[in-house]
Amino acid sequence: MFNRFLIYILLIFLPVLTFSQTCNSTISGFIKDLSTGKPISYANIYLKEAQKGTSSDSVGFFEIEAVCNGNLHINVSHIGCELQQLFFTISGDTTITVFLDHNSHILNEFEIEDEGGKSTTQETQSINSKTIGENSDKDLATMLENISGVSTIRNGSGIAKPIVHGLYGTRLTILNNGVAQSGQQWGVDHSPEIDPLVANRITVIKGVGALEYQGSSLGSVILIEPNKIDNEPHLHGEARYSFESNGLGNGLNLELQQYGKYFAWRVVGTLKKNGDNKTPSYFLRNTGSQQANLAIQIEKQWNTKWSSDLYFSSFNADIGVLRGAHVGNLTDLQQAFEREEPFYTEDKFSYEISPPYQKVNHHLLKFHTKYSLSDRQWIDFTYAGQYNLRKEFDVRRGGRSEIPALSLEQFSNFFEGKYTSFFSKSLELKTGVQMNLVDNMNLPETGILPLIPNYSSIETGFFGLLSKKYEKTTWELGGRYDYENRKVVAISAEVPRYIERSENYYQNISTLLGVTNEFHKNWKLSYNIGYTSRNPEVNELYSNGLHQGVSGIEEGQPNLTRETSIKNTISIKGSVKEKWFFEGLFYNQNIKDYIFMKPQDEIRLTIRGAFPVFKYEQTNAMLTGFDLASTYQASERFTITAKYSYLYGRDQTNELPLIYMPANSLFTELIYEIPEVGKFQNVGFTVNGKYVFKQTNLLASQDFVAAPEAYFLLGLKFSAEKQLKKLKLNFYLRAENVLNTTYRDYLNRQRYFADDLGINLVAGVNVKF
Amino acid sequence: MKNFNKIIIGGLLLVATLSSCKKDEEDPIIPNEEEVITTLKYTLTPSTGGTPVVLTFQDLDGDGGNAPTITGGTINANTSYTGAIELLNETESPAEDITAEVAEEDDEHQLFFEPSASDISVAYTDMDDDGNPIGLATTLTTMAASTGTIKITLRHEPAKSAAGVSAGDITNAGGETDIEVTFSLDVQ
Repeated sequence: MFNRFLIYILLIFLPVLTFSQTCNSTISGFIKDLSTGKPISYANIYLKEAQKGTSSDSVGFFEIEAVCNGNLHINVSHIGCELQQLFFTISGDTTITVFLDHNSHILNEFEIEDEGGKSTTQETQSINSKTIGENSDKDLATMLENISGVSTIRNGSGIAKPIVHGLYGTRLTILNNGVAQSGQQWGVDHSPEIDPLVANRITVIKGVGALEYQGSSLGSVILIEPNKIDNEPHLHGEARYSFESNGLGNGLNLELQQYGKYFAWRVVGTLKKNGDNKTPSYFLRNTGSQQANLAIQIEKQWNTKWSSDLYFSSFNADIGVLRGAHVGNLTDLQQAFEREEPFYTEDKFSYEISPPYQKVNHHLLKFHTKYSLSDRQWIDFTYAGQYNLRKEFDVRRGGRSEIPALSLEQFSNFFEGKYTSFFSKSLELKTGVQMNLVDNMNLPETGILPLIPNYSSIETGFFGLLSKKYEKTTWELGGRYDYENRKVVAISAEVPRYIERSENYYQNISTLLGVTNEFHKNWKLSYNIGYTSRNPEVNELYSNGLHQGVSGIEEGQPNLTRETSIKNTISIKGSVKEKWFFEGLFYNQNIKDYIFMKPQDEIRLTIRGAFPVFKYEQTNAMLTGFDLASTYQASERFTITAKYSYLYGRDQTNELPLIYMPANSLFTELIYEIPEVGKFQNVGFTVNGKYVFKQTNLLASQDFVAAPEAYFLLGLKFSAEKQLKKLKLNFYLRAENVLNTTYRDYLNRQRYFADDLGINLVAGVNVKF
Repeated sequence: MKNFNKIIIGGLLLVATLSSCKKDEEDPIIPNEEEVITTLKYTLTPSTGGTPVVLTFQDLDGDGGNAPTITGGTINANTSYTGAIELLNETESPAEDITAEVAEEDDEHQLFFEPSASDISVAYTDMDDDGNPIGLATTLTTMAASTGTIKITLRHEPAKSAAGVSAGDITNAGGETDIEVTFSLDVQ
């Protein structure tokens, strides 16, 4: 892997030696666009030691005179671009060329994913560290919401899972630093246990990009990646603070890094706390949450051929669930829905988190080592251990609210050996073997029959990916094979209870073919087809019992078979005169034996009343849709963006709509930016609007209540940067739901009980040093 | 290269060995489901004396499995009855008395009685420390003869101070339903 640093900045050093004296050197150079090579004007260049700066002119040129020799830190910033910090030692007049990744600002869709020179036929979209920093109050799924085709399924404001092209949970793989997140992903109300602030980049690979990774993905993959540590001998870092008016949330994040003499290290810590959120008219009682996360990254270059890195991350959260959403039976649910305000609503704010709430811990330890056989061939070995602990507390009788109603522990151990080779500049082979061992246990403290049984599984797989570039066409071909053995130990549903043991074996084959053609300067057309499969998850096979949140009895079916999917994507992207950018992605996915919960004709009578019964069944499903995104840069200062996502899901066997599919949405944004205002740089104003259509592809009989109406949310943002001696400050103010609109979202399960969030003002400052 | 291949192969073999040695999962501990309510009994004793009528809802195997057994009853017109609720967890042996648990947390619980016939009325005769009704002890009074049902609901953490709730009106009670059973009840 090339040094990541080089992806963003190609630093060309042309030191011109003159007579070396203390403070008479001149630093000059050009700022250029990484993807087009065109000059970038109005970029700010600041020398930290000299405490002086300038900005680039119309041809991207800058010059700073009378600079002292010695160590020098240079900050290069430009509207919307990530701040680039460069370090070098000068001993005379120096000319540099800095390449900024400017397109990511224009449209995040246009980032170049050319790690290691590999060109991919996959559709990837990402958000960079600047965007992450300016949204540090949000969780992972919410941060991804502005990527077209990505939406969230949530349970109130604290629990959110990303959905890509209609798939989520165990149909979507989330990779935390290259390791598939292992936990209780099957639960709709279990959000991924990852702190997005440890990442410098979050990428969504749409289409079928997952063959390199083990996991149950039926298509899309989300990558959360920290950067490699900058090759910089001094201590650097960033501190971020944010405040949210809705929920009186406070977030603090600190990142420190240094390329030390013996090894390079980075430490990131996050503390977050918020209290009850508020709709336009009432507080949502018990919707507070708190988080304390830590990540440590250590890298060591043993020699020119051999490097290793160690990564540890810990995620710890307590997440409150709306008190009024805790219901006993259908009568309660019906009553809750008919009410204006949920039960237990109080007219005062509180930070208190009491049952029902979730307590989640997730730790990851990853060791990776890479050995280069030559410039063109290398071997990677990875070990990753994960520990996931999830406890869910309910309102219970007899003082048992202190005892979790669900208590699950999971250990997983992952081993991977990978071989990469560039046979030539245009032919790349990547192949590897992987093994993942998972042990999932119910802790017996609950006093409740567990929702899912204990199990352990071993999954072994190997893959091969070949990519070949020929003139303006890139071909990609891949295959993967997995074998899974799962041992399940369940407690019987019948009384007297007994232990049932069963064993499942699965073999999965996945294949992928992709082609990209650069048919015109700056225009690319890609086609991808992928065949993937997913084994039925333990909850789908064995869950049995009452799901309180939705007032239904859920029954698993032990004879479910695996789902198989064929997904086709066609995408076109390009730009006209560097002014107008466009991207369109069309997809069609056919999933055979798609597993879903089907309402049964039976109404089961229990002592708590009558409950509808749902059974996991299989059908043939089709998901088809498109994501469109376009940006027009009207002038140096004014940019307009529009995105539209459309999705249609159909159960083809039963000729019914698929439930829990995101509604179509339209997002537009106007950005006005000024390179310099007084002592502030890169001042930006943004107005955005999001219109979410009503989900009409749904029958009344498919839900307890009708899908919510369409809604429109208006947002405003203001941001500015300031160089304060050696500190680079970035301020932002953001207003969400400015009109304080009362709305409910189809994919927020809290919609049965309460309105969604009202106005939220966020103020934050990020200090880079 | 050769060395590295060896290391990788060795590593994978080690894992394979480790995993094959890994003993089978231990038997999970079957939880002691203390919270389960299997049985509700509403015993109606005529205030004038006589044989009590017992309405019983019993579901010994929980939510699934066999259907519950529901025993309704027939009571006399123009009579006053003393009503007593008994809640049991009969999955345990001896059966656990849930009535005591409810009585202990009386401020967090309330039972509601909803007869279908307007000629039956139920009044609370017990109260918690705040002076609000619980419903474990009641008086049921009949007037004219009728055929119909009575629905008994136990709510956990209801809003007892909400309008009408202490008078036995469930509409504004909220809370979570722990029990909701309906008996046939004829008045002769």
